Amino acid sequence: MSIQRMSLNTLAALVIGAVIALTVSSGTVLSLLTQAIIYAVFAIGVGLLLRQNGMVSFGHALYFGAAGYGIGIILQLGLMPAELAIVVTLAAIAIVGLLFGLVIVRVPGIAFGMLTLAIGQMFFLTASRARGLTGGADGMSIDWPSTLFGISQSVLLRPANLFMLCWIVLVGIILLLALLLRSRFGSITEAVRDNEERARFIGISTLLPRAAVYALSALVTGVGGVLSALNTGFISPESLHWSLSGMTLMMVVVGGYKALWGPALGAVVYFLFKDILGDYADHWMAIFGIALITVIVFSPTGIAGALQKLRFRHQATPAKAAVSSH
Amino acid sequence: MLTINLFNGLVYGTLLIVMCSGLALIYGLRRVVNFAHGSLYMLGAYIGYSVAAHADFWVALFVAPAVMAAIGVVLDRYGFRLLQDRDPLTVVLVTFGLLLVIEDFVQTVWGKSNLSLATPDALNFAVNLFGTQVPAYRIGVIVVGAAVALGLSLWLRFSRYGLFVRAASTDPTTTSMQGVNTDALSAGVVGLGTALAGLAGVVSAPFMSLSPSMSADVIIDSFVVVVIGGLGSLAGAFIAAMVLGMVQAVGAVYLPDASVLLPFVLMVAILIWRPAGFAGSRT
Amino acid sequence: MNNYVLQAEDVAIHYGGVKAVDGVSLTLEKGQIRGLIGPNGAGKSTVIDAITGRRRLTRGKVMLGTEDVSALGVVDRRMRGLSRSFQRTSVFGQMSVRKQVELASHKMGVSDSAADADAVLEELDLRPLANVIAEDLGYGEQRRLDLALALVGHPSVLLLDEPMAGLSVQESHDLAHHLTALTSRRDVSVLLVEHDMDVVFGISDVVTVFELGRVIASGAPSDVRADPRVREAYLGSAA
Repeated sequence: MSIQRMSLNTLAALVIGAVIALTVSSGTVLSLLTQAIIYAVFAIGVGLLLRQNGMVSFGHALYFGAAGYGIGIILQLGLMPAELAIVVTLAAIAIVGLLFGLVIVRVPGIAFGMLTLAIGQMFFLTASRARGLTGGADGMSIDWPSTLFGISQSVLLRPANLFMLCWIVLVGIILLLALLLRSRFGSITEAVRDNEERARFIGISTLLPRAAVYALSALVTGVGGVLSALNTGFISPESLHWSLSGMTLMMVVVGGYKALWGPALGAVVYFLFKDILGDYADHWMAIFGIALITVIVFSPTGIAGALQKLRFRHQATPAKAAVSSH
Repeated sequence: MLTINLFNGLVYGTLLIVMCSGLALIYGLRRVVNFAHGSLYMLGAYIGYSVAAHADFWVALFVAPAVMAAIGVVLDRYGFRLLQDRDPLTVVLVTFGLLLVIEDFVQTVWGKSNLSLATPDALNFAVNLFGTQVPAYRIGVIVVGAAVALGLSLWLRFSRYGLFVRAASTDPTTTSMQGVNTDALSAGVVGLGTALAGLAGVVSAPFMSLSPSMSADVIIDSFVVVVIGGLGSLAGAFIAAMVLGMVQAVGAVYLPDASVLLPFVLMVAILIWRPAGFAGSRT
Repeated sequence: MNNYVLQAEDVAIHYGGVKAVDGVSLTLEKGQIRGLIGPNGAGKSTVIDAITGRRRLTRGKVMLGTEDVSALGVVDRRMRGLSRSFQRTSVFGQMSVRKQVELASHKMGVSDSAADADAVLEELDLRPLANVIAEDLGYGEQRRLDLALALVGHPSVLLLDEPMAGLSVQESHDLAHHLTALTSRRDVSVLLVEHDMDVVFGISDVVTVFELGRVIASGAPSDVRADPRVREAYLGSAA
């Protein structure tokens, strides 16, 4: 995609967000959408790992929850201003992600997924049992100051404003990732994902790029965690639990991970669907379980893949035609 | 204190052996990590509960694994076999979807509150073991676990099908063997593995309460076991299960605060040391 | 002082109780093509793995030019000009032809990697397919792409593990033609493992024969062809 095209898409996305924020008057709908966008950011983090590394994490809730806990603890201890706390927490998540990544990306295939699950559970149990600082299983509320980045909390937390903030962050992340993946880093990680051994034989040291993708995906997930902490003002071990990682993974797969925005679409579909289900929501696990199986079996590239296929059918490109003539 | 803890560690270890041998067998033959294995264990426990309520625990002990075996055969025939050419990760996600469906089913049929199953009368007494009173039922659990481990080992060692299963689990490229119907064998092995999950469920029901969260705890411990033991290695899983049971038991005495973390610490340490697991091949 | 670009001295690879390669020495002069033949399981691919650093040596050493590279990993050896292709085609399935060749060239530190990539693609007749995604290529084209990935960045030594495997007679013939042209034009020396005897004896300057992890004969193609041990062990009555 050309830079021009990307700027246009970004602009269009921002306009759509503004239109939603301005026209939707129902606070309930807006807060539902806000929640969906927050999880969209989370899902993009998980999807990035799958897309660029071909690895499935069952433990990314760790980074989602860690963002809330990091900020919550810093603010509770009064160590630094909230703005700095956000930056420091995200930096710490990226660094920890890189260090973890250097160790765990070496574990092959599905064992990697099981390892992430175990590490995530370790932190979940630690947070559940620690009293004092984190409030244990009851969780802790986050003491946001009355103004954040010069904006007063009452303005910031107005549903339309909070939605717009989350939307801008989401669009910004997709744009930055798209730009990053166009660069050399994108092709190196793609090569490593496609064929790690061959990558070494064209001179790529494969460990660092894979660990870097892992750290980046942790960071993106952490940004989602910060937004969630802002939205709810509360953090509990539930945010670290593996079922949350699993749910997000489901959004990624249903949305489709081959497109950067696929996981975000999956998250929005998930929340809207759950809302529409209403009375049947008691059975959402079974419904989503069946939906997940159906998507994987019949459209492995998810909703995004199906949409792209539809578009391709409309404009069969000359390149495709050239290939099929062989 | 230590004795009773070690004893309980032994009981939990044998339970994990029954669970994980199913997981390892299915992985060995189908290369599928079954995320729904814990849910199948739970389903087995609940089915056992209902059968015991209407008939008798000893009937449940046979009926629940039999029902689970049938479910396993169906799962293989209409699930794993159709997906055998797919990327292993997609199959994992399918089993994750299955997990969600089973959890929902169990909550719908049996409710969300805790249920408990009475210890069968015949084993409802205490035995003196090295000066400590232990429930006879739990000794029965150990016996069942040992029987399963022994039976599986003998089957793998001496039967023709067992040999094939062993070959397939060490070398996935072994795709065919003269006179072995691989589809039937896979269905049988997945059925057996699922039945073992069910058996573990029924057996654990009288001393662990039944709740919709019972699956998550056990599947995570089982994953720790099979990863430490080396995916698909039955012997590795046996050893790792016992080690895990013991580590938790000893940890509960000496490091009460950290004992829940110990299995994970163990897993992370072993994977860093040997990424393919304790008994896994170094490739 | 010799002018070998590559020298393997007494190389051995043992694993378990198997001596896959047991004391092999061979050399490669600048611009030379050395053919490596031998029955299946003779240890030809293992030698390639040993020289490129994919397998650790049990014994012996590998010299690239005047440098001992025995302790270096795959990446470092490739950076120093030791390159290989694979017996089973090994390309980056989801990337376009040009993108992956250009990436490989860039990783080799070529300043104008785009031009280098295009030159190599031109050389292997892959220019028209530059924008095609690798997994959409035909088999023979993928083999050439594999070779292109090994050729960028001007390596001094190229190890080819059965480059003709699975190709038609015509395709093999074309590839053999490419190879001889390449060695002179791109100043690269080639160690060629190949089953196709016509190709090996047709384009090699020297031929080495393997059996059970050892060298049983080495020399000019005509001498090797005439060697009674080779005839007995390998070529049989067909030669």
